[in-house]
Amino acid sequence: MFSTTGNTETIKTTSWKVVLPFYGYAAVAFLIATIFLLLSASDITSHYFLPHSLAITHIMALGWGTMMIMGASHQLVPVLIEGKLYSNKLAYTSFILSAIGIPLLVYGFYVFDMGLLTQCGGILIILAIITYLINLAVSMVKSKHENVHAFFIFTAAIWLLTTTIVGLLLLYNFTNSLMAKSSLDYLPIHAHIGIVGWFLLLVMGVGSRLIPMFLISKYNNTRQLWWIYGLINGGLLSFVYIFLYTDSKSLLSIPLLAVAAAIVVFGDFCFKAYQQRIRKKVDEQMKVSLLSVLMMLLPVIFLVIITILLILSQKEAVNLIITYGFIIFFGWITAIILGMTFKTLPFIVWNKVYHHLAGKGKTPNPKDLFSNKIFKWMCIFYVLGFVLFSAGILFHVTIVLQLAAVLLVLTSLLYNWNVIKLLMHKPVSL
Amino acid sequence: MMNVITNNNIKSTVALAALQNVTDPEIGLNIVDLGLIYQLDFDESQKKIYCTMTLTTQFCPMGESIANAVKENLKLSFPEYEVELDLTFDPPWRHEMISEEGREFLNER
Repeated sequence: MFSTTGNTETIKTTSWKVVLPFYGYAAVAFLIATIFLLLSASDITSHYFLPHSLAITHIMALGWGTMMIMGASHQLVPVLIEGKLYSNKLAYTSFILSAIGIPLLVYGFYVFDMGLLTQCGGILIILAIITYLINLAVSMVKSKHENVHAFFIFTAAIWLLTTTIVGLLLLYNFTNSLMAKSSLDYLPIHAHIGIVGWFLLLVMGVGSRLIPMFLISKYNNTRQLWWIYGLINGGLLSFVYIFLYTDSKSLLSIPLLAVAAAIVVFGDFCFKAYQQRIRKKVDEQMKVSLLSVLMMLLPVIFLVIITILLILSQKEAVNLIITYGFIIFFGWITAIILGMTFKTLPFIVWNKVYHHLAGKGKTPNPKDLFSNKIFKWMCIFYVLGFVLFSAGILFHVTIVLQLAAVLLVLTSLLYNWNVIKLLMHKPVSL
Repeated sequence: MMNVITNNNIKSTVALAALQNVTDPEIGLNIVDLGLIYQLDFDESQKKIYCTMTLTTQFCPMGESIANAVKENLKLSFPEYEVELDLTFDPPWRHEMISEEGREFLNER
């Protein structure tokens, strides 16, 4: 009747010791980024290529987004690929290399010194990603289960490696003139491979598995997910080609349309998963995660306007470009992390603290290990801070930028409060 | 409650009642109504309970805890028996396996 294995090996999950350092590091990075944002609020609108802006962008992209995603993926990859994580040692190595590399790189940007120390930071980050990629690849080969989610994650990790290699080349180009043009001219390639290839592809790959799973939805459409995969990768490859080998600005509409279509298809996937859910009540954490899917459309709208203005006037709309960057890193990337942290971390901590007590008495539920009240206040500060800061950049209003930055610092403080509450949780019996 | 294959209807009723104390912490629903228990067999000569069950997903982070809770709850109700747990993903868990009571519970939440 049932194909039984006689063992329970398929329930051994990744150790919490591997995952928690990434979560802790990311939480601190988010706090530092918002403090830097507050300190730079008055001059952030002058240009997007400023030392402080570069530092904030890289704390958000690497320290916050990438560290969080790498940490969570060590826990989630076994669920997604239906196989064990290959090596905890490689995961630790990946953490240590990036934990050292990121501050070196960020410090270099902050003081605008692209010398040896900053380059070492970049090299360490590349080594961390190679280690991560090897761990992913071997885990997938050993799992022998092919599925669409695994393709999303692995391809995203390859794009991440490409992003960091291009980033390092741009760093060398500052001091050694490796390329035909200045590093600033190649910035769109570096930025978009990272944003679309790494963040967007990975969030869609993981989200398309986790959102229906958490909603207990009947909806599943692999064909739709392959379309998203094709549109994102096709769009990105065409963007790189058009950017490097043609001078046509209007051709850029091709990758733009492809990525926009991918986001619409992903939105449709999430909406249908929401409609066909068995569990009617949707918790606050899922609401924030679903909001982040809607927020993916904002940068696309901005990019359409920026591209149209570029075609018509041949001039860059600097405030629109800064807003575009802000609504990506402080918008949907931050929103999905704020939501998903409290859907995943409580379970990891619960396993750490109560695993040995399972079935032996009453224990608290994972969702009771953090404060939902603090979570709600965090969301309120976040939405207000995000909207006000975006408006402040668009209309160059310093006081609004400062007020919004204070709200974002409060957001990160409340986030850290709940994360610390979880990490420090001691067993209680009910 | 879902139909669970068994060779001892009376004892399996007691066992399933005990397993209703084990809940999936994410969903908040007990694993019996969730449809995770496939088969419960009692070997009277060897004093063994063979429990075949699944999880909603392979490598579920809570899987090990749920499996331990299943063993502990069965041991509590049948202290003279040894519990052998077998985990299968063939067939994999599907939404249709949730009982009517489970569906009502999820609709209310």
